[in-house]
Amino acid sequence: MWRVGIDVGGTFTDLYAWQEGNNREVTAKVLTTKDDRSRGVMNALAEAGIEARDVAYLMHGTTTATNALITRDYPEAAMITTEGFRDTIEIGRQHRAQLYDPYQTKPKPIIKRRYRYSIDERMDVKGEVVRPLDPGRAREIAEKIKANGIQSVAIAFINAYVNPAHENAMRDIVLEVNPGIYCVTSADTRPVFREHGRFTTTAIRAATMPVMERYFSRLEASLKEAGFAGRLMILKSSGGITGVEAAIQHPEELIESGPAGGVAYAAYLNELRGDCPNIIHTDVGGTSFDVSIVENGKGLVTRDHEIEWEIPVIVPMLDIHSVGAGGGSIGWVDEGGSLRVGPQSAGSSPGPVCYGLGGTEPTITDANLLLGRIEPSLGGKMQLDRDAAEQAMERLAETFGLSAIETAEGMIRIGCENMAQAVKKVLVGRGRDPRDFVYAAFGGAGAMHACFVAESMNIPRIIVPAQAGVASAFGATAMDLRQDLEAFYFCAVGDADVEAINSLYAVLERDAVALLEADGVKAADVTVTRSAQMRYVGQGYEVETPIPGGKLTAADLPKIAETFHKCHEMEFGVSSDDFAPAIVSLSVTAVGRTARPPALTVDASGREPLKGTRQVWFDGAWHESNIYDGHALVADATVAGPCIVEFEHACAVLPPHARGKVDQYGNMLIDLV
Amino acid sequence: MDKKVKVDASVIEQTRVDPVTFEVLRSIFEYAADRMSTVLQRASFSPILADMVDFSNAIYDSEAKLLSQAANCPIHLAAMKFSAEAIIARYPREQMQPGDVYVVNDPYQGGTHINDITFLMPIFFDGDILGFAVSRGHWMDLGGGAAGGQAFGGTHIAGEGLRLPPLKLYEQGQVREDLLAIIVNNTRTPHFVKGDLQAHVGCLKAAQQEMERAAEKYGAATLRAAMKQLQEYTERIVRKSIAEMPDGVYEAEDYADTDGHSDKPIPIKVKLIIKGSDITVDFEGTGPMVKGAINSPYANTASATLYSLQFFLAPYAPQNQGMFEPITIKLPDDCWLNAKWPAPTIGCTTLTSCKITSAIWQALAKACPEKVTGSTNAECNWFVSSVIAPDGSTDVFSDLPAGGWGGTPYADGMNVTEDPLGNCMNMPAETAELLFPIAYEAFELRTDSGGPGRHRGGLGAIFKVRYLADGELSMESARTFEGSPGVNGGQRSDVQRQIKLHTDGRREVIGGLDEAGNWKSPLLASVPFRYGETFMFESTGGGGWGNPLERNVEEVLDDVLDEYISAAAAKRHYGVVIDEQTMTVDQAATAKLREAMRAQASAPA
Repeated sequence: MWRVGIDVGGTFTDLYAWQEGNNREVTAKVLTTKDDRSRGVMNALAEAGIEARDVAYLMHGTTTATNALITRDYPEAAMITTEGFRDTIEIGRQHRAQLYDPYQTKPKPIIKRRYRYSIDERMDVKGEVVRPLDPGRAREIAEKIKANGIQSVAIAFINAYVNPAHENAMRDIVLEVNPGIYCVTSADTRPVFREHGRFTTTAIRAATMPVMERYFSRLEASLKEAGFAGRLMILKSSGGITGVEAAIQHPEELIESGPAGGVAYAAYLNELRGDCPNIIHTDVGGTSFDVSIVENGKGLVTRDHEIEWEIPVIVPMLDIHSVGAGGGSIGWVDEGGSLRVGPQSAGSSPGPVCYGLGGTEPTITDANLLLGRIEPSLGGKMQLDRDAAEQAMERLAETFGLSAIETAEGMIRIGCENMAQAVKKVLVGRGRDPRDFVYAAFGGAGAMHACFVAESMNIPRIIVPAQAGVASAFGATAMDLRQDLEAFYFCAVGDADVEAINSLYAVLERDAVALLEADGVKAADVTVTRSAQMRYVGQGYEVETPIPGGKLTAADLPKIAETFHKCHEMEFGVSSDDFAPAIVSLSVTAVGRTARPPALTVDASGREPLKGTRQVWFDGAWHESNIYDGHALVADATVAGPCIVEFEHACAVLPPHARGKVDQYGNMLIDLV
Repeated sequence: MDKKVKVDASVIEQTRVDPVTFEVLRSIFEYAADRMSTVLQRASFSPILADMVDFSNAIYDSEAKLLSQAANCPIHLAAMKFSAEAIIARYPREQMQPGDVYVVNDPYQGGTHINDITFLMPIFFDGDILGFAVSRGHWMDLGGGAAGGQAFGGTHIAGEGLRLPPLKLYEQGQVREDLLAIIVNNTRTPHFVKGDLQAHVGCLKAAQQEMERAAEKYGAATLRAAMKQLQEYTERIVRKSIAEMPDGVYEAEDYADTDGHSDKPIPIKVKLIIKGSDITVDFEGTGPMVKGAINSPYANTASATLYSLQFFLAPYAPQNQGMFEPITIKLPDDCWLNAKWPAPTIGCTTLTSCKITSAIWQALAKACPEKVTGSTNAECNWFVSSVIAPDGSTDVFSDLPAGGWGGTPYADGMNVTEDPLGNCMNMPAETAELLFPIAYEAFELRTDSGGPGRHRGGLGAIFKVRYLADGELSMESARTFEGSPGVNGGQRSDVQRQIKLHTDGRREVIGGLDEAGNWKSPLLASVPFRYGETFMFESTGGGGWGNPLERNVEEVLDDVLDEYISAAAAKRHYGVVIDEQTMTVDQAATAKLREAMRAQASAPA
């Protein structure tokens, strides 16, 4: 039976699969079918020659929820809030994205104002009823929802995170009048304080639930029709997988479903090799550069993610930062006469000048071609037009009195510096030192730029994973099942009631394990870790602090405070005994371990790795450089820069001072010396 | 690619650092300032910094010329430079040591209002000063006659709080406990002082770290050259933009409703003289210093002038000294925009600055009507309130419910967005309720508050907070006589108003115009609120852009469906008749009404 990982991206649908028992592995890449993405999934299986009935597990990463949100392409949803807070999701936090742009506008709210209703009811901050829910108004709203034919409703009341009784009563009335529609509450979505994040996340859940149910049912139907009898698992933004039922109920957890696979792959590299617990995961595509951190073998998560300006999703998500820097990024001269690269991108249409599809402005890909770093026939896939790229580069170069080749190298330096700033934002912005990390280069163009980006931050070691070209699909097969649950508990540590904390954790752990059991995990295979969102009393931001397992006693509280001080120091560079630490909420992460892909060794390819030599431009001069077939390199093979290592879906560029060595699993380690 | 222009090659040849290294350093400088703000927001303790983000951070070169600034509060943009200069005037560079941190908040020595407190740290590299890291934050309370310094009845700066001249607060990394004790002793919120100070120092250190890293890699000489080049680069962008505007003299005015002592508006007169690639901003004709707390010291007026122009000159250029070079500011000596000791200034950053912006934008609209937007609500609407907690202790909370922005040549204005002067965030209701004995009852859009126009002004808000303890509220506001002006035929928005809702349901207008047309000053000074009473505020929207009769009928209908405007307003301002039973447009009646309204508008008076 096969375990299959499939990642549906914007352009390509990638597949990686391995066969239980004989450890055979297979990869495939097909075009994404944008009208109905489930077709692309079936195409990928066909391309890989895998029969649906032979699939035991299908792990699936999808950007369907994100696409629906960004294009606002979902059935109209309604929202019901406490009176006075109808516009919380539209007003946001009243600040703007661009400080000085007089023409800027804000993104459209997730739910239109005409379908947002408010009702007289009120809980106080302790969860006591100030004013009861107005039942007449509740029924009137439920009838309006019916009259408008709305199928999905978000209910979000102030202070519902302490007491959800009014939200639940409202939901009962909505469902009584509108049986069978989707109806979600904010306390159920994420019972934590701060209304803007909780309300918006609830609106996102309501809006995407019908979309995801439709998509997953279509996919399940296609799979079943083809004989699939295995389990369909979905990648979550938190870096774990979940069953399809839970995915439909929690669509807000699928926002970064695709990139999560790549991060899981980065974590898996450490499981495999044991020497790289801290990895910077990077992925260079056509238009964007994604970066995130794996620390101590785990992807770093955030609760501050915004899908657009002031549209936050407050569930734990891998902290993936994205900037407009990729192969298609355009080199241009700004109004002050400075050479810039991106964020504008030629994308895949018209694409770089060398593609000959109408692009006229030089891109990073054109620059790499001129520098000799890309082979002009792309391994026979497509003939690139070097002359056109050179002419475009000359036009840009004229402005600066530089040559085309100097400008090309300059574009790469600037593009790589933009990527380095993005890495720093994620790393240094969260108190980490880049030098403690290994730089992992994913994506087709990741390894072309890795040495330069890493060098800019003094990171000495780079790893190019064996399956860099289908990284997210591979990572999907290396992911554990995961559930993250959270409960609000706001209290200074000094005043905390250990018994209350113990009972809250007991409930969270019971619920999390039950969710995993529903996905077929045995309770014995579950690992539960606890954490708390903590801050100093009065602060506005929390730091995730690990909490010991088992029954806590009063003696644990000072230890928890101590751990918090350390975590705060790590994230923000400061800590202080002058301030009392406080707990804001308690979280558990329950993980059900899954099988891992086989650790296949690369010991005999039978092919000659050295394909020839080519002139490649580094540091202002041409260098005669070896060109290698990356798939022919076996364990312990070494290569020395300047050289180029070509893979089927990726390519590594090693400048003169770089040394590469292939490990037994086919990953290439590059050291900058 | 719209920002792409052909650049004269001769301009580039003047550069000393190669174009690639220049671009790399440009992004490093920008990142360094951004990182300062990340650290300050995350590590600060008081809600006004951590939640509302009322602060700014910048890096200056060794001549105290701005090198880069994080995108936080525009009103701090140029003002911090005056603080840096005041500190350097008192403590010469050659006496500075690594690890020193200086502080100043005196409005008459480079400050603006007392609550904006500025910290400066020299950045050393190889024994020389490479530049300065500067961090300015609005501290919740530094004493004075009312919570948060908002003593709007006062007539002397001494009533607004602790006024610190330039002082050395840290000596080579060691805090001077005597000075710290004075600060802690002079605030209603002593518990925030150490934590916020630690956060400011952490952010200064972050800047130092980034600049050191860059200097190690590229060398101090390259960095210095790139700094100068970056300032020239911005100057080129700004000059080019000015050169594209038609030469001429353009005048406009706006006004503050009151200084708290007068019942007559206090005008700001501005004259923009555009000539070649220079602009002179002349405030001649603006009146003398006023009694109340809205006087603006030079640093504040200069900052407001510069950021107001920045919106239409170079919104995306790196912020540095280069922006200031082409702009000359002229102020009469005795002028409320050129305040001198002992004039009170607490309202200058919030109330006065946005009226300066509105006046300058209206003047710019005369130079280039196709570019300029309707006025924003031009108010910060900042209030501060003390509350007595059940245990008898006093706490201070604050919020700044925003209004709307003006319609633009391309779109409707933004709803409820902080005025150009800042980019603060509001206080989340659920945070406020956890921390203070209050209940937030509303913060939602105010129907019909946006100025009508082909592109409508964004909406203002209805804001309500109920006291669950006794307290006193002070607040600055304006736009109570008239709403925000529109441009190009766009109309004014509605007025702002402050209200007290009594426990018996009675509604009392405490600032602005009531239903009978009686007006009260919107500068509220320590207004008592008792347990159970509610403070309500109606903010206004932005001014409209273009003739409302040219607004697309479907857009008007959408606005009515979403209750951004009422059906009555659709008819009155837009000439669109909507059947409220079917919620559809009566096309025939609309065509007829619009025609009649057009005829009336063009008829001789």
